[in-house]
Amino acid sequence: MVASGFKTAAEIFANPPSLVPRNPTLDSFIYVIGRENIARYLRNSLTIALPVTAITLVLGSAGAYALSRIRSRMVDVALVTVLLLQVFPEALLATPMFIIFRSLGLLNTFAAVILATTSRTLAFALVILRPMFKQVPIELEEASMVDGCSQLQTFVRIVLPLMRVGLVVVGAISFVQAYGEFVYPLTLLSAQELQPATVGIYGFVGAEYADWHRVMAFATIFVLPILVLFIALQNKIVAGLTAGALK
Amino acid sequence: MGRSRSPLLRVFLSVPVGYLLAFVGFPVVYNLVASVQKVTVGNIADLVRPFVGLDNYVQVLADPAFRKVLVNSLVFVSVNVVAQVGIGLAVALFFAQRFAGAHWMRGALLAGWMLPALVVGALWKWIFATQYGLANYALQSLSLAIAPVHWLSDPAVSLISVIVANVWFGMPFSMILIAAGLTGIPQELYEAAALDGAGAVSRFRFITLPALGPTLLAVACLVTIYTMRAFDLIFAMTEGGPLDSSNVLPVMSYQFSFQRFQFGPGAAVGTFAFVIVFAVALLYVRTLGREAST
Repeated sequence: MVASGFKTAAEIFANPPSLVPRNPTLDSFIYVIGRENIARYLRNSLTIALPVTAITLVLGSAGAYALSRIRSRMVDVALVTVLLLQVFPEALLATPMFIIFRSLGLLNTFAAVILATTSRTLAFALVILRPMFKQVPIELEEASMVDGCSQLQTFVRIVLPLMRVGLVVVGAISFVQAYGEFVYPLTLLSAQELQPATVGIYGFVGAEYADWHRVMAFATIFVLPILVLFIALQNKIVAGLTAGALK
Repeated sequence: MGRSRSPLLRVFLSVPVGYLLAFVGFPVVYNLVASVQKVTVGNIADLVRPFVGLDNYVQVLADPAFRKVLVNSLVFVSVNVVAQVGIGLAVALFFAQRFAGAHWMRGALLAGWMLPALVVGALWKWIFATQYGLANYALQSLSLAIAPVHWLSDPAVSLISVIVANVWFGMPFSMILIAAGLTGIPQELYEAAALDGAGAVSRFRFITLPALGPTLLAVACLVTIYTMRAFDLIFAMTEGGPLDSSNVLPVMSYQFSFQRFQFGPGAAVGTFAFVIVFAVALLYVRTLGREAST
């Protein structure tokens, strides 16, 4: 895909196709950047993904902390509820979401997509972060409270800094999920100037005949942040995913 | 402990759970309610609507397209589960050999899984393009096909095409989870078995498989849940067509509600998917519970 972005139209439709472009060219990239408002699409994607990541981290770490510290039946029920709530296909929740945001008057706003997408990333964050919070020794917190910190101060100053790695992983995965979200922007944003890159790419490939080298150039630019995040955090992401899915 | 009842923790717990109940729980309930009501564009914002019993379900079940899509979904999910768990296990065993470059190859595989499903769909749409796609070029240059295959526009082939794409997309995740399970098997078991004269095949059959059992079940449940969710990939590749040949429940439900504005039948189609996903999720939660208690 990355390679194809550097090809010319003639080479894309050449027979035999080539894996490595013969005459690498930036034409497709220049075309895409200039013509297809990719800057706007990317800005919209980021405007959605960054707040989703922030809200997910705040609510997710608070919730997971509580889940790891409260010992009662209520927590077991809450945990199973969270696990079950994250399995529903978002395409099936799109209609009710549409109704909710219509009655809130939020259709065609980023707020709608941000709130809807966070419902997916938050459940996931709670499941992954809880076992990590469990590993923070409770004695540390008790010591800090003896020293006169309130529970909130203890949480913010002692517990959260210890959770740096976990929070970075969950933040990265939430960002990737929100950045690639398609169903909610498709259904909640009809104004073209608000649509993120996923919807833009869909518009590109929807036609039977597509300018594949340009689609691939667009897609390459779009996934660049994801690949950078992944390369930087690969091992931690693998560990985080495994812990979340099997524990 | 008195501390565990602290008001702060309660707030910490109730805000995220409340959020999820509002934005996931409510939509699920809304969908179930709408599936037994007559919903039109006019009354869509109300919760109280004419009750029609199971009419929407009857209408949907009588629709040959729905039966086709239900069968498609079951085929799509079960082939994905078998292929992703099978290939995932094979690849995990392969990478367990610890050879030079294993780390990077595994990373490259997993990077594909991090890509947005829509982008993966676009990529495979291009690979499967009839005229200039890689798939047809490869087949023809190996003389395996004489005429180009209409991967996405032939109703007999389109379901296979989206299955191939989704297996490619989801397999790395299964592989990672299975690899984690593999590392949990004590090495001494293998050494003892080798001393007793067990060959590679019987070591796999009598040690690896039984030890991996719970992991494989959990992975199969997760793959089912994720595959039932597949929307972006199919929507980008075929939109469920041609003639619903590659359509699955979530895509069909979306089409009922957002393209044909038949919200009641759309909700009814959704219920079928909910029931399947929910049953598998319960099995998954039970599997996890049993694993944790052993």
